[in-house]
Amino acid sequence: MSEEGQTAPPFMDNLHPLESKVLLALVPPQSAPPTLDQLASSTGLEPSQLSMAVEWLLAKSLIAVHAETTAYIASLTATGEVFFDQAAPIERVLSAAREAGQTGRRLTIQDIQSKEQLEPSDVSKAVGTLKKEGAILIVQGGCIESTGRNSATAEAMRALLQALRDGQRDLETFAEPLRSVLQQHAVKRGNAREPFRVDERVTRSFVLTDAGRNVAERLSRDGVAEEVSQLTPELLKEGAWRTKQFRKYTISLRAPRIAAGKRHPYREFLDLVKLKLVSMGFQEMRGTLVETEFWNMDALFMPQFHPARDIHDVYFVKNPTHARAIAEPYLTNVTQVHEKGTGASSTGWRYQFDVERAKRLVLRSQGTAVSARRLAANPSVPGKYFSIARCFRYDQVDATHATDFFQVEGIVLGADINFRTLLGLLNLFAREVAQAKEVKFLPAYFPFTEPSVEMHVRHPKLGWMELGGAGLFRPEVTTPLGVSVPVIAWGLGLDRMAMVALGIHDIRDLFSADLEFIRTMRGSF
Amino acid sequence: MPTISLQRDDLEALIAGPDGTPVRIPLDQLEQSLMLVKGELKGHNAETGELRIELQDSNRPDLWCCEGIARQIRIKQRGAAISYPFFKKQKRVAGKLVVAPGLDRIRPYVAACTAIGYRVTASGLTQLIQTQEKLADIFGRKRRTVSIGLYRLAPIVFPVSYDLVRPDEVRFTPLGMETVMTLSEILMVHPKGVEYGGILSGHDQLPVLRDAKGQVLSFPPIINSREIGEVQVGDHELFVEVTGTDLHMVALTLNIFAANLADRGAVITPVEIQSPAKTAFGRRWNTPVDFGAPRTIPLKAIEGALGEALGSKEVTTALKSYGYTVKSAGPKVAVQLPPYRNDLLHTVDVVEDVAISQGYARFAPVMPSQFTVGGLSRLEQMADRVRHLMVGMEFQEIISNIMGSHQDFCAKMRVDGTEWAKVVEVDNVMSLSYSCLRQWITPSLLQVETNSSRAFYPHRMFEVGEVAIPDVSADIGSRTVTKLGAVIAHAGAHFSEIHSCLDLLLYYLDRPFTLESVPHPSFLEGRAGAIVVGGRVIGLLGELHPEVLEQWQIGVPAVALELEVDRLFDEG
Repeated sequence: MSEEGQTAPPFMDNLHPLESKVLLALVPPQSAPPTLDQLASSTGLEPSQLSMAVEWLLAKSLIAVHAETTAYIASLTATGEVFFDQAAPIERVLSAAREAGQTGRRLTIQDIQSKEQLEPSDVSKAVGTLKKEGAILIVQGGCIESTGRNSATAEAMRALLQALRDGQRDLETFAEPLRSVLQQHAVKRGNAREPFRVDERVTRSFVLTDAGRNVAERLSRDGVAEEVSQLTPELLKEGAWRTKQFRKYTISLRAPRIAAGKRHPYREFLDLVKLKLVSMGFQEMRGTLVETEFWNMDALFMPQFHPARDIHDVYFVKNPTHARAIAEPYLTNVTQVHEKGTGASSTGWRYQFDVERAKRLVLRSQGTAVSARRLAANPSVPGKYFSIARCFRYDQVDATHATDFFQVEGIVLGADINFRTLLGLLNLFAREVAQAKEVKFLPAYFPFTEPSVEMHVRHPKLGWMELGGAGLFRPEVTTPLGVSVPVIAWGLGLDRMAMVALGIHDIRDLFSADLEFIRTMRGSF
Repeated sequence: MPTISLQRDDLEALIAGPDGTPVRIPLDQLEQSLMLVKGELKGHNAETGELRIELQDSNRPDLWCCEGIARQIRIKQRGAAISYPFFKKQKRVAGKLVVAPGLDRIRPYVAACTAIGYRVTASGLTQLIQTQEKLADIFGRKRRTVSIGLYRLAPIVFPVSYDLVRPDEVRFTPLGMETVMTLSEILMVHPKGVEYGGILSGHDQLPVLRDAKGQVLSFPPIINSREIGEVQVGDHELFVEVTGTDLHMVALTLNIFAANLADRGAVITPVEIQSPAKTAFGRRWNTPVDFGAPRTIPLKAIEGALGEALGSKEVTTALKSYGYTVKSAGPKVAVQLPPYRNDLLHTVDVVEDVAISQGYARFAPVMPSQFTVGGLSRLEQMADRVRHLMVGMEFQEIISNIMGSHQDFCAKMRVDGTEWAKVVEVDNVMSLSYSCLRQWITPSLLQVETNSSRAFYPHRMFEVGEVAIPDVSADIGSRTVTKLGAVIAHAGAHFSEIHSCLDLLLYYLDRPFTLESVPHPSFLEGRAGAIVVGGRVIGLLGELHPEVLEQWQIGVPAVALELEVDRLFDEG
């Protein structure tokens, strides 16, 4: 390649000013390839800027590592500082043994631990070393006696503490036995309570590559053009941008992360369901988190002795325990339909209805409670209603059970409602909500509907799955609430679909409290 | 509802019936047939031949057993009900069972029969016991309304008496024990006495079944005698008895047992019950008893509910092949349930049986055609506007559980003992972590902040969600309120940041507001404000108190905003 060539060498145009500085510093002949420290002094760059520029140049192969040497640097840890001030455990054990020898008192390991407030492991390590060196003896009854001899380790320890107090040193500069004592008492994995640490320090020296020399020589010949990185209002105002050169960016780098303001992905999913339902002609209904057993169960013709009404299925409210009153005529009507089927051409459940029980307050356990309230509040005929209601079940929380969860449910009223239109509506749900083409209807049981249907659909990802349950409200539900047309009750189990759309496997993740997880979660729907 | 375990061979033999030859039924075909009983195949062990089936219908206890499932399938295959001669009125009884006066206060009803000629096999015994347990536990509400006893018939001398005795008057050796015990000892010591004794508490006299020789059969609903009440493999003469508090449930339970044993080849002979007082069945009656009555239903009612003009012929066929007795006469059908069922409350129950018998696939779906207008509630529309504005101000939306702990909602927020600590609490707490409903959103967001110190800053998050506010003026003692909560957390989080958000939010919603200083313990003094709109406080905002942040182990300053979305509507 010719230096007179028309084309600039690669990377010439988008060199960062920091990179140019480093390249120029490497051009003059030197006695030996410079290290990072030497480059820092010749370029005058901050260490962080310098290492950034060096990494960029290495990535572009404009410079190369000439040599890499590793040094081991010893220094004092925080524990070492303490040992320097208060003496190391081995020194303290030794002096305690000597002091006991002078006063003639018996000294056990436990005595040392409690008196010197040392860790048992430190004491036993120190005692072991001292015994090996012959500085102490362990006599009958586990007592420690000083032999009067010196401990090489204790002395080395003191010398090292003293030496490193003044600053870190290359491990090589310590002669034996100091060096091995230092290494024995250096911080290792699993034992941070050591006085010394030894760090590996890698020193690299750098040279220009052929391409780098090419670029650098051209730089030193042409000089570094005056580059600007940021267009400013001033440059625009004065028109000075015309004389400037704008540094080119390496645009293939990853963009810095930002956080968006956005909807929760699960809420996005629910919003979509909401939109679908509204577009199919459904009106939204809302209810309360706390309900009476009356609206939660009695109005739905669930007998008060029904097994699902046990204490183990529903959360009861502590205070007040009971509602003040249940609106009439619904209380009377429902009481009579339970007891004798009155008004609904039914036999009823044939038991004595407990009005107090009906007033018992519970946490809403099924969204159908919202529908029951709606039926009693003069609904439109024909009419379609839905709610996305938070419900509570007395379940152990695990990967498939949340303490509270959303139920999507509703009702359809109309003179044309029958079993076949019920199936037609479910077909519509399967197509619109689950994008399913294949649907299966199975007999099902719900206390408040007859006939009852379970709808299974073939989900594009999950295969056959239950999408929801539905049925025609029993006349024992509708008649006491003043509704005389047939009514479809339906509910959709969408959490599994939501979990697939959001790529999660634990229902608790729908209500995650992890911001990073929520920020990165995205739905495919 | 119950999940039962049964043997595939046993099921197939029962489907074939006493005169048929069992055939292997492929599992997919079995799953199809289970639609007839609202059953779902939950598991199959190819090695042992065990099937696990979940039954959905809580009104059909006759289906909670191998015999019942097989019966429903067999009836469909043969196209007609199975007739059980012992349900017909007959003179011959195995003996009498005399009910003593006074039992009406404690456990008034009993039904019984004998079953001879079925030699009990090991798997048959397992099924008998499973049925006994499921019926007593779920249908009989843990033996409270119904419990069942099975005995060897040979040692029993009729008449049997159902008596009331003092707890220390009678003693016998109960099942599972080696020694003779009094009734009060059984209640105190025997595991079943401990488990079910509560049913009898408060009574100074207790029920006991004894034979003519004074031998104790059982102490219902607690435990059988070990001598007579322990049925074993090889026994072929049985006595079955049901006691309880509801005459019809007691009778139905015995009917189910009688049909089950008959299906296994036993000859059932009724027992005459003698009651001290008149019941719906009179003073004396035989059990098993067919207490069902025919019901006349207009054909139109069935066709209208199904949306399909089936005609009387198809309806009749459908019901007959589902076990009904049917007489069709012009525009009406007279139907009667088989005696092992008592779940016909309304015409719609018959309608569903027609549909199940014919298969739901028989009915072509039709779209409901009437026009309705869809729409969101006013509150949801407002909530959506608020959410969109918050997103525009770069907040991440959060969804949290509404149930949580007093610790999180109050104690960690420093509001214990103040008006802000009123929450709806749960009576039957399962776990302290889920013992009340949140009264505000901020703790939910701080929970997120606690877990997210490693997510890059700044953190801006919000939730629009429901909370429960105790309110003595409400009928149900609380109000459900939709609130907006928002939290900003980062090293420089400041009151003015959240104040600006509020300002912008209420500007776009056109709700002019003022702030009034409020001494709220969750916030730094002098850095908290009550948001006043139209003279009403609708929320608050401020810099969270360092102690609150410490409690939540949050290491950066945070500011919060809390607002009632319900109160953002124009009052006009």
